[in-house]
Amino acid sequence: MNQTNRAPYFFIAPAVILFLLFTAYPILASLYLSFQRYEGGSYSFVGLANYSRLMGDSIFWTALSNTFIIFIFQVPIMLILAMILASVLNSQLLKLKGFFRVSFFLPAVTSLVAYSLLFSVMLQDNGLFNELLSYIGIGPIPWLSDATWAKVSIIMAMTWRWTGYNMIIFLAALQNIPEEMYEAASIDGAGKIRQFFSITIPNLKPIILFAGILSTIGTLQLFDEPFNLTSGGPGNATMTLGLYIYENGFEYFDFSYGSAVAYVVVVLVAVLSFVQFKFTGDKS
Amino acid sequence: MKKTVLLCSAMVMMLAACGNEETTDNATDNNGGGETQTLTAWAWNINIPVLEEAAERFAEENPGFELDIVEQGTPDVYQQITTGLQAGGQGLPDIMLIEDDRVQGYLNSFPEAFLDLSEYGFDDEHGEKFPEFKTELLTLNDSIYGVPFDAGPAGVFYRVDLFEEAGIDANQIETWDDFIEAGHTLREELDVALTGIDINNDDGVYRMMLNQQGTFYFNEEGEINLNSQESIQAMEVVKRLHEEGLNENLVGWDAWLGGLANGNVATAPSGAWLTGSLTEQAPNLEGDWDVMPLPAFEEGGNRAANLGGSNYMISANSENPDLAYDFMAFFATSEEVQLAAMEGGLFPSLNTIYEEGVFSEPVAYFNDQPIWEMFAGMMEDIPYANYTGNYAVARDEAETAQAEAVGGRSVEEALERAANQLDNRIN
Repeated sequence: MNQTNRAPYFFIAPAVILFLLFTAYPILASLYLSFQRYEGGSYSFVGLANYSRLMGDSIFWTALSNTFIIFIFQVPIMLILAMILASVLNSQLLKLKGFFRVSFFLPAVTSLVAYSLLFSVMLQDNGLFNELLSYIGIGPIPWLSDATWAKVSIIMAMTWRWTGYNMIIFLAALQNIPEEMYEAASIDGAGKIRQFFSITIPNLKPIILFAGILSTIGTLQLFDEPFNLTSGGPGNATMTLGLYIYENGFEYFDFSYGSAVAYVVVVLVAVLSFVQFKFTGDKS
Repeated sequence: MKKTVLLCSAMVMMLAACGNEETTDNATDNNGGGETQTLTAWAWNINIPVLEEAAERFAEENPGFELDIVEQGTPDVYQQITTGLQAGGQGLPDIMLIEDDRVQGYLNSFPEAFLDLSEYGFDDEHGEKFPEFKTELLTLNDSIYGVPFDAGPAGVFYRVDLFEEAGIDANQIETWDDFIEAGHTLREELDVALTGIDINNDDGVYRMMLNQQGTFYFNEEGEINLNSQESIQAMEVVKRLHEEGLNENLVGWDAWLGGLANGNVATAPSGAWLTGSLTEQAPNLEGDWDVMPLPAFEEGGNRAANLGGSNYMISANSENPDLAYDFMAFFATSEEVQLAAMEGGLFPSLNTIYEEGVFSEPVAYFNDQPIWEMFAGMMEDIPYANYTGNYAVARDEAETAQAEAVGGRSVEEALERAANQLDNRIN
């Protein structure tokens, strides 16, 4: 009897041990680290000094506001695009669905560095993007060297990479909406657009919330694109919290301060997720 | 209960197997009597064949010696070194390749982590064989913590064919003003850019100009020097290059090298190591490139500067520090090894070999000029740059200032702001 009670625990033990070792421990260790200061080879406890230093750190505030600007533009654009794509790909009329689904999803599985490099080549002053724009008479745009355009570049790159990923999530959800609802709606005289807003969107609500929270967390941890495309420049125009954590740790050897920034991200993720639940979540 | 024991012992065995891989390897590799001694090394691309060559030669004198080289990209090596240092030196290899600008950062933050080579007498025995600026940058509190390897004596790489077509005589370029003048001619005659500086992410040209004036981000006492007269003068040149339409803003290493290979950019002020990348990436341009010394700020001024270069440091946690030291001392002072490094385009800082024939030979790729002789001639004149432990933060601020200055702010203002901000960040 005793043995059967214990059995499940043995089976989950490997996963739990790995989780404790490689997830829980680092989380707690970095919290502890954020209250310390490293000097001349040893750590000492400094309380909230790292956090109060954050308050007066203009680069931190720049990183925070950059992260938010990118978040506010990128996440809605991406989710709306993903939803439109998913609806189109779900249509009975479309042929070659498999091909389109794979094509749109493909960016999500390419290497982050490879795609960043590709974008950096295309976005050069004399790169492919400007070449194409010149055919329609638009002058060269300083994609990577202007503070505003650099942010636009990052938003474009992220949208390219993650739209397909969200599209697949929406597509799965769309297939759970019974076809009869659409039939009934069209008998009642509702057009395609009306159907989209009155049937598709309400039914997708929990999934939109899910995708929204995933994207929020992803954007707040944004690192690869600014690291590979712009190195946070020009100036600090594309510095993000993720990149700032990395720079503090691995460039300036200030892991404690980096941990403090990381915990700001943790708090932001928690707050934003809560807000999203509150406003878009299912009340029942 | 039995199952648990089985499961646990299986897991323990698996873990043990992972951990012991290396030791079992060593035991089986025992070739004929002599005990095998293995060192591990972390390094990247063109340095790998040099290490292999050195290990082979060293093994001739020391039978049983083996070098286990882990090849990784440069950023990966640094990330792992930083992580290892942070973990108190655990998991680090015996020897690791570290570039000039990183040395003091590591030494200041992790003073106990590296082997003090002065205790082995490296500086007394071999110190004279290297230029002072190299040994200085490896020194902390009068002890030396690494062996110097390659250096980056700087010059202006330029396209001979384009210069001729535009009617520019490279020998007439003595000052940065002359250089900018030549840029205008290039623009007017051929519509080609003079330089391909990545304004937002790379301040290499500015740094060389600081170095040639005998200053750096920090002065010799370690005080912030970003707003010095020399610094303003240097940043002015970069600003002018860009504002006068002579610079093409090539973002990232690949774009820059691409610009040099496809003829969009006619010159590259850079370290000697660029020779290797050019010959490799643009073999079709053989004979079209040449190198001249950096322009000076006034006629007759110093034209010698350094950009880049690397060193090997030994982990204080090494299980075999004596062997690691012997090997590295051999590596750094062996003329054969250093000459092998030159084949990959790495310029040795070991000055005992500058008399070798290779140095006076003309190099076909570079317009049949003896460019190595020119670089060797500069080595003694290169001023010491005080990188300090705060180099990375200072560089970040300098690059921001460069972006601001080019973006329209006055150079004085941008550098003043950078100096203040740097002061805030490090003090």
